[in-house]
Amino acid sequence: MTEGTKDRVLVIDDEPAIAEVLSEYLTAEGFLVERASDGAVGLKLAIDNRPDILILDLNLPTLSGVEVFRQLREQSDVPVIMLTSRVNEVDRVVGLELGADDYVGKPFSPREVVARVKNVLRRYRRQGEREPAPAEAQRVGDIEIDRLGHEVRVRGNRVNLTPMEYRILDVLANNLGRSFSRAQLLDRISGEGGDVFDRTLDRHIANLRHKIEVDSSHPKHIVTVFGVGYKMVGEG
Amino acid sequence: MNSTIHDLRNQLAIAIANIEGILDGTLAPTEVRLQTVHHALLAIEELLGESRAREEIKP
Repeated sequence: MTEGTKDRVLVIDDEPAIAEVLSEYLTAEGFLVERASDGAVGLKLAIDNRPDILILDLNLPTLSGVEVFRQLREQSDVPVIMLTSRVNEVDRVVGLELGADDYVGKPFSPREVVARVKNVLRRYRRQGEREPAPAEAQRVGDIEIDRLGHEVRVRGNRVNLTPMEYRILDVLANNLGRSFSRAQLLDRISGEGGDVFDRTLDRHIANLRHKIEVDSSHPKHIVTVFGVGYKMVGEG
Repeated sequence: MNSTIHDLRNQLAIAIANIEGILDGTLAPTEVRLQTVHHALLAIEELLGESRAREEIKP
């Protein structure tokens, strides 16, 4: 195996005796490993070097693991396995709500961590391939999307969407129930339209809600996922 | 109490991961590594001592 084809893992942990063991195990399994011992440095490496997967300790100096994760998710959907010694309910909920891909409590077996790294990577890649081809016509609750005619009807009435609003609805509806970070959504909808920025996206979402939701201040279809971004659900 | 448990788990993680690695042959049994484990065990002893002392003070 050449260096170029190896999967790259970034381990962010302030405890060198743990980072070192994980690094040895992962290297033995054919991964290329990079290490960071504090949050700010780790976040920079994660963004600059684009690793294939992250192992992130929640308890870090300079920038907490949760903060690293939040900021990272604004620009990247790299899979993340969280590592923590605080295995209480709050942490678990925070980890899962944020959208971490997996979760390991300390103390752990290093073999188990390696197995989870492989699993998450496999799952992540399968997900990428599995995106369904959009249906020609789709109904989500009281919203009908006619992809052939490029038309949207809400409770039987045709609504006029801007091209940007249509693309957002198209992507979200085609992936019902899946949460998208702003970065992921921007990725899907820009392209021909040039640059769209984070807060502009929020504006488009607000306008879209206004047009398709019964009560746009309590949206039932395009819902906000706290700390992550947006998703579309069928019935509210 | 919470931070004691946190520290205990961290030190346990160091000891367990290193010993497991030596036993399954992934890690070389170097003197440095054994010292790391020894260190972690001493830290655990100290942490347990501390929490025991606190418990005795409790009314």
